[in-house]
Amino acid sequence: MPPSPQALEALVIPYLERQPWFLADMSRFNHNLHVAPRLADLEIVLDGRPGLASVVVTVGERPFHVVVGWREASLAPAVLGDHQGAVLGMCSDGVGDVLCYDALADDELSADLLAVASAGRESARRVRLVQSLVSHASLVYDERLFMKCYRVLEPAPRAEVELLYRLDEVGFKHMARPVAHWERSSWDLALVREYIPGAVEGRLLALTSLRDLLGRNLGDDSSRRDEVGGAGGDLSSEMRRLGEITGNLHLVLAEAFGLRSLAADPPQVAIRVHGDYHLRRVFRTDAGWIVGGFGDDPLIGRAGPGPAGREPRFASPLEDVADLSYSLRQVAGEAVRAQPTVTWARAQRLAKSWERRNRGAFLSGYLGVDGISRLVPADRASAGESVKALVAERVAAAS
Amino acid sequence: MVPGARPGLDDPRWYERAVFYELLPRGFFDSNADGIGDFKGLGEKLDYLQWLGVDCVWLLPYYPSPLHDGGYDISDFLTVAPELGSVDDLAAVVEDAHRRGIRIISDLVMNHTSDEHPWFVESRSSRDNDKADWYMWADDDHGFADVRVIFCDVEPSNWTFDPRRQQYYWHRFFHQQPDLNYDNPEVADAMLEVVRFWLDLGLDGFRLDAVPYLYKAEGTNCESLPATHKLLRRIRSEIDASYPNRVLLAEVNQWPDVVSEYFGDGDECHMCFNFPLMPRMFMAVRREQRFPITEILAQTPPIPDGCQWGIFLRNHDELTLEMVTDEERDYMYAEYARDPRMRRNLGIRRRLAPLVDNDRRVAELLYGLLLSLPGSPVLYYGDELLMGDNIYLGDRDGVRTPMQWSPDRNAGFSRADFAQLYLPPLMDPVHGYQAVNVEAEQRDPSSFLHWLRRMLAVRHQYPQFATGSLEVLPADNPSVLAYVRQARDVEPPVRQTTDAMARAAENLVGEAAALDGASLWDVGPDSVGAPVVTAPNMAPTAVLCVSNLSRFAQPAELSLGRWEGRTPIELLGRVPFPRISSAPYSVTLAPYGIYWFELVEP
Repeated sequence: MPPSPQALEALVIPYLERQPWFLADMSRFNHNLHVAPRLADLEIVLDGRPGLASVVVTVGERPFHVVVGWREASLAPAVLGDHQGAVLGMCSDGVGDVLCYDALADDELSADLLAVASAGRESARRVRLVQSLVSHASLVYDERLFMKCYRVLEPAPRAEVELLYRLDEVGFKHMARPVAHWERSSWDLALVREYIPGAVEGRLLALTSLRDLLGRNLGDDSSRRDEVGGAGGDLSSEMRRLGEITGNLHLVLAEAFGLRSLAADPPQVAIRVHGDYHLRRVFRTDAGWIVGGFGDDPLIGRAGPGPAGREPRFASPLEDVADLSYSLRQVAGEAVRAQPTVTWARAQRLAKSWERRNRGAFLSGYLGVDGISRLVPADRASAGESVKALVAERVAAAS
Repeated sequence: MVPGARPGLDDPRWYERAVFYELLPRGFFDSNADGIGDFKGLGEKLDYLQWLGVDCVWLLPYYPSPLHDGGYDISDFLTVAPELGSVDDLAAVVEDAHRRGIRIISDLVMNHTSDEHPWFVESRSSRDNDKADWYMWADDDHGFADVRVIFCDVEPSNWTFDPRRQQYYWHRFFHQQPDLNYDNPEVADAMLEVVRFWLDLGLDGFRLDAVPYLYKAEGTNCESLPATHKLLRRIRSEIDASYPNRVLLAEVNQWPDVVSEYFGDGDECHMCFNFPLMPRMFMAVRREQRFPITEILAQTPPIPDGCQWGIFLRNHDELTLEMVTDEERDYMYAEYARDPRMRRNLGIRRRLAPLVDNDRRVAELLYGLLLSLPGSPVLYYGDELLMGDNIYLGDRDGVRTPMQWSPDRNAGFSRADFAQLYLPPLMDPVHGYQAVNVEAEQRDPSSFLHWLRRMLAVRHQYPQFATGSLEVLPADNPSVLAYVRQARDVEPPVRQTTDAMARAAENLVGEAAALDGASLWDVGPDSVGAPVVTAPNMAPTAVLCVSNLSRFAQPAELSLGRWEGRTPIELLGRVPFPRISSAPYSVTLAPYGIYWFELVEP
């Protein structure tokens, strides 16, 4: 017999109320902190010792998810290792007292969770908890699978889940493919997808390129190498490839979700866009670029307009292009600011031409994709002008 | 196979573990003061090659030739160019080399001959002579229209008109190099005779020049046709039947998946060069990120048992850019060939040292990669000294200047008059022989030459580098490249006791000590040269290689969980590093730093 719902509720709510991710979410969206949290949904996933339950608590309308595990109290400290803060408290499982804790701190139960989330199709021997964000915690299984265990729930289909599955259906290859998702009572609780080891965030690659460019040129006053194309850290072929991937992404998004038209002069095509597309959302792997971040933590990256901001957005595909171009500018600024102040003027000039070159390469990769003219102005000049204007909007909004 | 020993002469798979050394007989050492290097001269320098730790010497073409293409235009396959000596001289060098455990292979050009070869002289003399169809003749130049021109800088077409026969002949390279017609079975038979001739002399195999082009067929790009593979299988089976322990090393400048077809099912070539890897090593260092390398490694298919890649940093040809995309090529041009004279056809002709702006740290990094990535390393003569080049010499001669032995007259290469030399030695203040030469670097214990020799000794000690599997480890830092080489099958160590090896070991002790006082400064496990059997761990373990591709110091966190509990021991200094735990393993790397670790069980 598992712990009773009342016992679990009494343990989960105080635990939830001292979690930084919970408090961050509550304060961010100005929820009423005086509304009492209550147990909304419970599933005993694994009955026994160890045991596992998926618990959903709502504060007003907002649902939060905690996966609770329990064991004999004497065994728990050894299992929890460095995660002693994961303890919820003691309760009875009918046989005797057990210690309850956040199950993600327990490797064995985390492995069981994979089996549950994939309806028994997947299993793993090694688990590691890699990330703990507001919207979800991430686990890596056998360096092969990646699970997002959602904390702040959204009604199914969650944008990320829907998007990944639709993109997979229409055959988009440049992403970590979805493997399984766990849904209950119209909430998406977890998503399992491929894990691609060694993937490097685009921003890091850009910073590497800039570091190289500035490192080589700032110490050398001769004009011989004072050229972005001649510097070692040239990123433009990478950006061209990223542009191609982005074009392909937009074509499959258009195929999967259809076209709309935007009231503008001249009328523009709108598609379901990525919506949060920048250098932290793209990753370089040994096989090329992949796109990620189809619904990540809202505290990272460009903030959407509140909770509703995570809803699917239809817009001109050039919005994504402009987002990425803008992030090239941001990262260039970051690299310049890291240099000694006496070199700023020179570094700024170099960073500017770096940005121009890579933005151009990205755009030509994008416009070179077969069929992209159905979505954006085919000629480079007018597409370039539109992107420039959109980037200027972002610059203005940021200052 | 003893870990630590160089491959024995009776080891049929020696080439999997061998370090190759490519040299130009004409440019190595001149014994008779005529200004041209020769075989007797090479014989005098075998001590040096043995001291360095070379297992196999690859001789660039030494056949009689009008030298329109660096000797690849051969006018007689069955002898050596008179200025290099005689066939007997070569045989003596082979014998002497074998005594030292060193093998010798030669370049073999099967695709074409010189237009001065008697076969072609006869073939072009009329349309109905005995050799009339030993070459590819046609009445017009319209055939094989889809075939690209390789030497596009100088040859407008693959067809050239011959006024005597009033016909066009086909050539994939210079017009002085007519292609043989392998559709005529007599041609293949004649070429097999050539193969037998040199193997009978004792040569240990061939580096096969331009193999993809042997057979031609209309409507194809005339590269890598099935008939070409069939001929290679025929040559291989002939060798397997009559000439044990020899090697065929193919030059196929193509993407790895096409190249790997030349291994057949282990029944074609023993080795193929991995061409695309080379420019990407340079590209990775210039971009300070690993992806150019890891991407091409991921595209490299597994190869049959008993086969091996040949890998190199530089060779006698230009740095080949055929196997990079156009955009990458623009980038390499801009980066490495600022002077247009450095560009030639689709490549860059530079030696290693000038390519890396004479930065020894980059050279060490690149050699560290070369000696630890899958394949047998092929060194180019002079690069072990970080010799320079002379871009003002025509064609590919800029990287074929005389070996720099000492600060004496003519770089110690020849006692001839300076004006008599086949090419002038380098005399500039940075790379010239006054500064860069074997003698000086042997006397300087911290020279690049000594560093490289030590690295070769370490490589010989760990067979994982040669035949181990490769696994690239994910690292969060794009400037860090980490991989593990692990023995596939652990063979029980068996000590080689052949006479040849025992003699070789004896020679080594004596001769290394006699070499120019070099041993005075030699300390550490490699002071004897080889066979060194001082590694405490005889059973092959995993070797972890971590490289920093950036000119700035870099941190890396590696997931080494699988080797939890083991202790990484740095291979050059045998310094134990902290034990591996389940947490990510932190390594801090100096600019362009490389570490090789053995992961030792507690």
